[in-house]
Amino acid sequence: MNHLENNTDCYFKVNTKSVGGKLVFTALSTVKLVTDMAREYDHLFKLLIIGDSGVGKSSLLLRFADNTFSGSYITTIGVDFKIRTIEIEGERVKLQIWDTAGQERFRTITSTYYRGTHGVIVVYDVTSGDSFANVKRWLHEIEQNCDVVNRILVGNKNDAPDRKVVLTEDAQRFADQMGIQLFETSAKDNINVEEMFMAVTKQVLRSKKERKERQAIQNNDTVNLRKGPKQNKRKCC
Amino acid sequence: MGSRIRDNVKHLFQCFCEVVGQQSPDKEAWIIQKFPDSYRDEGVLKSVPKFAYPCDFANTIVQHYSFVLTSIDSKWTFGFCRHDPKTETALVVLSYLPWHESFYKLLNHIAEINSSCKSDELWRFLDVVYHSSVPDPGRTLHVPFNNGRDTFVCPCPNQFQLPSIPENRNLTEYYNAVDGHNMMVIFASMLYERRIIFTSKKLYRLSACVQSANSIIYPMNWQHIFIPVLPMALMDYLLAPMPYLVGVPAVIYQRVRKADLGDVVVLDADNNNVETPFQDLESLPLDVVNSLRRQLRNRAALLGDGVSRAFLRALVQLIGGYRDALKFHQGQKITFSPDAFIESRPSSMQPFLRKMLQLQIFQQFIEERLEMLNNGLGFSDEFEMEACNYSDKSSSKLKQQYKEWTYTMRKEGSAFFKTVRNKANPAMKSAVKSVKERGKDVRTAYKGIRSKLRDIQPREGLGSIEDGLDENDKGDKPQSAPTSPVNRRRPQTFAGPKTSAAASFRKDPLRQRKNTDVNIRSRPYNPLSPSSDPGSPEVLIDMSHSDTAGLQLSPLDMDLMGDLQDVIFRKCSSVLDTEDTNSPPVDRTKESGDLIRLDSTPSDEDFDPLYSKDKPLSVSQTLPAATASADSLANPLYPYFVPSVGKSSLTYAGNQSFLYSKSQRRLNVSERMPEQRVQDSSVGQTFSALHPCSSSNALSPGQYNVQDMDLLKEYGLDFKSLSFKNGGPSLRPAPPAPLSSSSPAMSSSEAAARDLFENLVEFPDSTLKSHSKNQWTKFD
Repeated sequence: MNHLENNTDCYFKVNTKSVGGKLVFTALSTVKLVTDMAREYDHLFKLLIIGDSGVGKSSLLLRFADNTFSGSYITTIGVDFKIRTIEIEGERVKLQIWDTAGQERFRTITSTYYRGTHGVIVVYDVTSGDSFANVKRWLHEIEQNCDVVNRILVGNKNDAPDRKVVLTEDAQRFADQMGIQLFETSAKDNINVEEMFMAVTKQVLRSKKERKERQAIQNNDTVNLRKGPKQNKRKCC
Repeated sequence: MGSRIRDNVKHLFQCFCEVVGQQSPDKEAWIIQKFPDSYRDEGVLKSVPKFAYPCDFANTIVQHYSFVLTSIDSKWTFGFCRHDPKTETALVVLSYLPWHESFYKLLNHIAEINSSCKSDELWRFLDVVYHSSVPDPGRTLHVPFNNGRDTFVCPCPNQFQLPSIPENRNLTEYYNAVDGHNMMVIFASMLYERRIIFTSKKLYRLSACVQSANSIIYPMNWQHIFIPVLPMALMDYLLAPMPYLVGVPAVIYQRVRKADLGDVVVLDADNNNVETPFQDLESLPLDVVNSLRRQLRNRAALLGDGVSRAFLRALVQLIGGYRDALKFHQGQKITFSPDAFIESRPSSMQPFLRKMLQLQIFQQFIEERLEMLNNGLGFSDEFEMEACNYSDKSSSKLKQQYKEWTYTMRKEGSAFFKTVRNKANPAMKSAVKSVKERGKDVRTAYKGIRSKLRDIQPREGLGSIEDGLDENDKGDKPQSAPTSPVNRRRPQTFAGPKTSAAASFRKDPLRQRKNTDVNIRSRPYNPLSPSSDPGSPEVLIDMSHSDTAGLQLSPLDMDLMGDLQDVIFRKCSSVLDTEDTNSPPVDRTKESGDLIRLDSTPSDEDFDPLYSKDKPLSVSQTLPAATASADSLANPLYPYFVPSVGKSSLTYAGNQSFLYSKSQRRLNVSERMPEQRVQDSSVGQTFSALHPCSSSNALSPGQYNVQDMDLLKEYGLDFKSLSFKNGGPSLRPAPPAPLSSSSPAMSSSEAAARDLFENLVEFPDSTLKSHSKNQWTKFD
């Protein structure tokens, strides 16, 4: 769905630039699908939540999600996702937030992992220095290799001051250095969770719009021409 | 680390379930019975019915397939399933071991018992299986049942081997369903970490293809979402934005809105058709694709491990250069240099290698290797071996030799041994036989043999005989000792470290074969020799406790660490030169104390007969440690293998590596010039192979028995190889290819070797003893 939305423009352009019944057909069917979905929401964003096991990613998702009834599969297939539709600035945004198991085994999480996503929620546990160290490394890696990904830094379990080891100042300094927002949350006490998800959603939405504007300004064929044939190939097969 | 197979597996299986399928639309499949009753993982138990009946499917033939569950630590649990049209239930065995063939066989047996309605019997059988220790790789599981009147026998896979056709059911199915080109497309898609869907109407095909696709990127492992059979209930997970490899039953795939999926690669395994929006195969370096295509086109060569090896070689071409990118500075951890990695390959390949650095599968591979190296664990596998072969193509002559040995010996090895065995020399046969009969009291036999040998002056090629013996031991049927046409050999006395050849050979049969056959005399595997050095006397003690007859070694159990270390150390030789020349780079033996912890801590409680046996002998401080680590032959790359108690064969193998490294140590000590190290050690090795007895003076008296066993083998080996090298045409079996390349210029290096050896044996025992290690070489 995300894919479709992203590429809607692309299909139209292919259609207009190309000659051939097949292409026209492709574009038309695509338009129909987009219309169907438009009834549910205006945007679909797929976000990742990353962080060590035990930092409270699942709890954050549970606090946030609509579909808590669907149960969790993270312990059986190593992947889980939660859905929620929220409204921001009059637009309905459907969020899928994806989580995978055992990320702490990765010293670096490589760019292929983020390839299909719109944003990353990076979670550490304020009572665990290790989890913060991992997060720092991963964010550096994202910085170096995946420039387009929206990121937000979350210090969870911020509900037991006596056990807190990652100081807010340190985390904030790091967040500033990386140019990202920091939220300290408590999924247990439901502190700052909603705000955090809203913030990341806004950020993703904003960057989507900026990108569209940039594309509109450029409005060039180069990208589309390159993309077009591939898309068609897939659609036509 | 890279692997997603659990290590330290305690039970053959975790749980057995019988699952009733969906009887009506509103009633889901459920478990009607399970074993053991104590199994309480509710998450898993809730999932099992979903995976056992993932969708509507045609249940017309008995069908086996496997599903995979991934736990929170990302490790896999395999669910082996059996559907039978004659029953309304599915049988499921959950295990941490990816032993498809074994568990399918077990399921058949369970089905048999189950159908006879003797539920008591089934429970008793399961109980015995559950409490059986996990067999060592390549061994056979024996489970008595029916009150001991019958035995269930089931071979367990040897994880050191590449999957081969037709033995590996998964790969065979994949190969039958999908042609070479499409396999390559999938391979390329995996190297780009795409979102990949396999689809088929048949569950067994689905799981087999997904499993095989993963096994084909060995030595890497798929690090992302991995669901060989996706149940209907989890259909939405195909929307995941991250890379995945998922098998989707055709009926489920039909219901997926393709437009929602985004860019996915889809393999229809029923129609041998791939749809991909990407140009991944086209983006692979042309060299690699071409040679892969060529190998896959050669249909005749694809039986056995041909398919696996073709892909393995492609990966060697791509990432084998990681070895050249390892950086080592004294006192620091070994690191990986991405730049050096890219430069390790021609410029045409470099753009792709840059992309490889961004692959999780590659990162984890590097992490895994670095971790092992930095923990002092060596590793040995087919990948490293092929990597040697590959890198040798363009480098020194000596390396070239090694490469030839590897190739030819792998190819010719088995045929060669068969011939040798058949033509075994009767004298040798009886000698070996007598030794075997007498068990530990082999000393006299050994002497007898020695004198016989003296007459026939076996010189080189100890290794191959050793191998032959190994094979004998491995085989179930009694076999004659290998021999050779002794008469044609030049007379010569035995005086050499007797243990060395046997030890090293058993440790690394392939290399040994190569070595002995091709030209042991011409400083065999120079760059590699550190790792292939023969063992030292102390280790032999273990052997007295080990039962040679039980000896069983995978021919693929290799240790190429030496090679790797050599690469690393050569690079920093300047650094090392300035340091203590008495401890040359290769001398990473000091840490052997750590080694045991690092290597075998997990298995400490599992094995140990040797440990306790070794103690009284107290040959050296490090012996127990070395034994332990040796014992856990457990290649870290195959973490599910934990040696169990009382498996003497393993011990034996471990001992050899131990021996091996010890003599290596000696060589190291004797060296003064790092740059000579390579040559020296190889010569030493050659020498020790040639003079198996001369090290005996370094042994304490009580050690003879052990060594004798080994010696015999050695001698046997010698005979065998001699028959090839020196034997007269009439007696000699058709010489295998490797022989043709044997070097004539042996004598000089032999002499050098002898000198070297004399140096070596001068070293005080303490030196020798304190620096032992097993095949997992250690250095910092």
